[in-house]
Order: sequence, then C-alpha cells, then structure tokens
Amino acid sequence: MPIIEAKNLIKKYKTIEKKAGITGYFKNLIHPRYKEFTAVNNINIEIEAGELVGYIGENGAGKSTTIKMLTGLLTPTSGQVIVDGIVPYEKRIENNKKIGAVFGQKTQLWWDLPVIESFRLIKKMYKIPENEYRKNLKTFTELLQLEDLLEKQVKNLSLGQKMRCEIAATFLHNPKIVYLDEPTIGLDVLVKENIRKFIKDINKEKNTTVILTTHDLKDIEDVCDRIILLDRGQIIYDGDKQKFKDTYGNSVTAEIILKNKEENITQKLWEEDFEIIEENENNIKIKFSHDKTTIVKIVEKLSKYGNIEDIHMKEAELEDILKDIYRGVKIC
Amino acid sequence: MNNIVHSTQLYLSFLSASLKEMLIYRLDCIAGMISQIVTQLVEVIFIWITFQSTDNIAGWSFQQILLLYGVTLISVGISDFCFDALYDIGPKYIRQGDFDKILLRPVHPLLSIIGASKEYSALGYLGLGLFITVSMLIELAIPVTFILIAKIIFFSIIGAAIIGAINTIFSIASFWTYKSNEVIWTFYRMYTFAQYPIDIYNGFIKFIITYILPFVFVAYYPTMNYLGMDKYLIWLSPLIAIVLWFVAINVWNWALKKYRSTGS
Repeated sequence: MPIIEAKNLIKKYKTIEKKAGITGYFKNLIHPRYKEFTAVNNINIEIEAGELVGYIGENGAGKSTTIKMLTGLLTPTSGQVIVDGIVPYEKRIENNKKIGAVFGQKTQLWWDLPVIESFRLIKKMYKIPENEYRKNLKTFTELLQLEDLLEKQVKNLSLGQKMRCEIAATFLHNPKIVYLDEPTIGLDVLVKENIRKFIKDINKEKNTTVILTTHDLKDIEDVCDRIILLDRGQIIYDGDKQKFKDTYGNSVTAEIILKNKEENITQKLWEEDFEIIEENENNIKIKFSHDKTTIVKIVEKLSKYGNIEDIHMKEAELEDILKDIYRGVKIC
Repeated sequence: MNNIVHSTQLYLSFLSASLKEMLIYRLDCIAGMISQIVTQLVEVIFIWITFQSTDNIAGWSFQQILLLYGVTLISVGISDFCFDALYDIGPKYIRQGDFDKILLRPVHPLLSIIGASKEYSALGYLGLGLFITVSMLIELAIPVTFILIAKIIFFSIIGAAIIGAINTIFSIASFWTYKSNEVIWTFYRMYTFAQYPIDIYNGFIKFIITYILPFVFVAYYPTMNYLGMDKYLIWLSPLIAIVLWFVAINVWNWALKKYRSTGS
C-alpha cells in the first residue's frame, strides 16, 4: 500500500478581481467580484514508503499548494489525500507526529535560544524517547557537523549553519515522511552537498520517504530516484528520473574547437540536422539529437570549414531537458 | 488525561524557554515594567483627584475603589503575562508565514502560540496590583485571613482566565485581517469599565460588561465579596470562565478550519 495517496485532487482559490483606480477600489470594497483560480487540477499521486521523490515545476505550477494539502495545512476543494492511513487535513495533529517539514527559509527553531534548547523542546513536543533522541543527536551532529553550533543562538548562525540545524530538527523524531520545500535555497555548494548526502543517508538507514521540491535541479539529480513534473496544476510526467532523461533528454551539446575557421558558418549550415547554438572565433557549440545524426557525420561536415582540434560532448542534464519542456516542447 | 499531563509539561517547557529569552532582553523587560507602572499610577492619581471633590462614587469610598482597582490589576497582570502572544497571531504568525510551522507541530496551535511568548513586563501590573490590594485591605481594616488570601489568589486566576478567553475569542480576527491585534485590543480594553463600580454607567454599558463581555466577573463581584457587599455572585466567576473557554476553543477551531479551506 502506498504511504501517500492523492486521488483526483483539486484546489481552487477565490481571489478578488482587482479593478483599477480609486473608483475601482471602492467598487471592490462594496461589491467585490470573485475570480476562481485552479491551482491544482485533478492530480493523482501514489508514493511508496522509502521513495525519494522530486516534485518539480515552474513557479505557480501548484507545487506548494499540493504540499500544503499533503501536510494537512490546506483542505482540498475536492478529491482525497491519505497519508499513512489517515486524512491529514482531518486529523492534522496525528499526522504531524509522523511527518517533518522544511519550508524554505522559515525556521522552526527558537530564534533567541541556543540550538540545543530548540532540540530539547522538539524532543518534548514529539515525545521522543531519551535513547532515540541521544542516538539521533549524535548521528546528526556528526553527519551535519553541528558540534560547534549547538550552543550558539539561532539568530547568530549563518544561513548554511541554520539550515543544517533546521534539517537536523526536522529528522529528530524519526518522521516517516519528510517534505522539503526549497531546502537548499541560497546555500553554498559544500553545504548543499552536505545536506543532500544527509538526506540520502537517512533515507537508506531509516527508509524515510522524502518529497523534495526545489529550483536547484542538482538537488533532484543527486537525491531523487523519481520525479513528478507539474505544469499549470497538472502532472505532465511521473516516473523514474533516469527514464525521464533517456526519453526526453536525447539531445547532446558539443563544443568543437575549430582552428582557421571560416567566418559565419552558422548561416551556411542552418539547414543541417544539428543546431549551432554559439559561434566564436575558434570554436562553435552545437546541439543535436542521437536519433537524427551522429557526431561522426557532424565532424565530417564541419571539417570543410576549418581544422578540428578538439571535441567536448555533454549529455543533457535535467535542467536542459526541463528548459526545453517549459519552452513548450510537448511531451507524452 | 495523558493528554492534559503532556500539554501541561509542554506549557512549562515553553514557559522556561520564554524565561531564557526574557533574560536576553532583560533591559527591555525592565523598561516595559516601569512604563506600565507609571501609566497605572497616573490613573490612580486621577481617581485621587476625583475624590478631592466628593467622598464617594456610587456609594464606594476612595479606599474601596482603589481595592477594586488593585484586584483588577492583579488579574490583568496575570492575563497579560500569559496571553499576550494572542496579539501576535495576525501581524507576526500569519502575516510573516510562521503560522504554517505552528500548524505542523504535533500540538494544538493555541498551546504553541500562547506558550511561545510571555509578556514579562506585565509582572509590573501584577506587582502594583498586589501592592495596592494589600495596602487597601489594611487601610479598610479588613482582616487578612488565610481564607481571604486563598480567595484572592483563586479568583484573580479565574479573572485572568476570563480575560484570556475573551481575548482568544477575538483573536480569530487574525484569520481575516493582519490588524487583528487592534481588534483584540478594542474589546480587551473594555475591562477598564469594570475597574469602577458599575452603578456609575448607564444600562447599555452595564449590559455589555455583564452579559456580553462579562468583565464584571473578573474583579468587580469578587471585590464586592471581599468588602462584604455581596455573598454569592462571586461564585459565578469560575462557571463563566469555564463556559467562556469552551466557547473560545470551539470558535477558534472553527475559524482555523475555515482558514485552512480558503488558504489565504
């Protein structure tokens, strides 16, 4: 049985239609006109225990709204959510005991107190048994390098330090499911890597289910096995990450160093089955798809316009594929 | 039962956390306390000035009125100390988006919010209230028996609970407007009517502070009891506190449910 199950989930918001000008302002005050906006439009999700799921989409695609419904913060307009056997927005507190969540830069730690005090309060709130608390604190302190931070006041921590403490606080009560909304926003590379590794380690050790939404697709690339792609309130892809890349990411970019190159070859080659995306004095960048041509054929053609010295090829990354999709390339 | 024990433990943990926070800002706290005491002393001076031209107000002497004033301050001090965080729900929690994190905790959001911060400067009210009360009891030659002390402690807490429940009810405004603190403040300030003998008011105000926002049960009827002017009405106070809290929690849960379905 899936640990998270959403069926025909719909969330509509009512917003007041704004009228311009001062008269419009008073019209709104007296007789507001409501406009309905569908943030999440009939989505179905099934997630098994222990999965690492990347939930992605552009701003306003409905990611946060979905997460809010899964965590019980919002009640859906219609449809149903069952998380580990209960409906989260009906039995919110019971659901809260089993989940953990990080929302962007909002901290759940006590601002003026040392980090360790917040951990103690969390221990009391979730009734974490003493030995479990000690064990987790020890492991997390090691994995996230918290030794020097525990006695510091939260307000004196840097963004990266705060987020490491935040992540530790979120996993302290051994939640079955963790929702991470933009956990790496604004962090430097080392901290990002540290947090990604932590999530993977805990998932391996405790089989924690993780739902991750992020704008940094490296997070997804590194952590998740499965992606759910949302566009204007609907799921447009749900499945294995590697398969997604194989199916939609068959384009390859290559940088070719051409010495003694003829000028402006982009114009001469525009009809070919590859695309020149950048042309400089001594090199060009091209993009092509495996099912249309091969690098050998391209090199053969290009050799007429200069001496090829070197070729760097790069398989498409998640980010490139998504850019294509957002630009309007139809999938499915 | 288990639940109540856990909630109490949690409340005490939150309390000790807030005590540690206060110690960081103890200068702010002391300054707050002094300004509160000064504001109240100004009121006392006004009462004194009024009594320069009359020897009683609605049959109450200067000392009796000050006793009522002091007893009220004790309850107000306790309630401000305990329930001050209600003012933060709209402007702080909901506006800045911290409310979600409160809703994700495995405890009732009211416990989280009320537990989260304590207004330590309100202890200034409490101290001044105790001082005025004790000195007026002595001035009026009322024997300070063990029973009287127990009564004052018990009914002061009940009074604070009544004020807290009324504030909790109006704090639901937070779910519709960020300026909810002003809404709560408006209704809360009506307690000042019940700081004086209610016979000086017209029927409308009497009706409001007796039946709608029953502030008269905070200190007025208890003080009449301590003065021997009334025997029974004081015992309605605990009952009213219980009913008000029952209403407050249900209204609050209803508003929260509404808020979660609109999500704005």
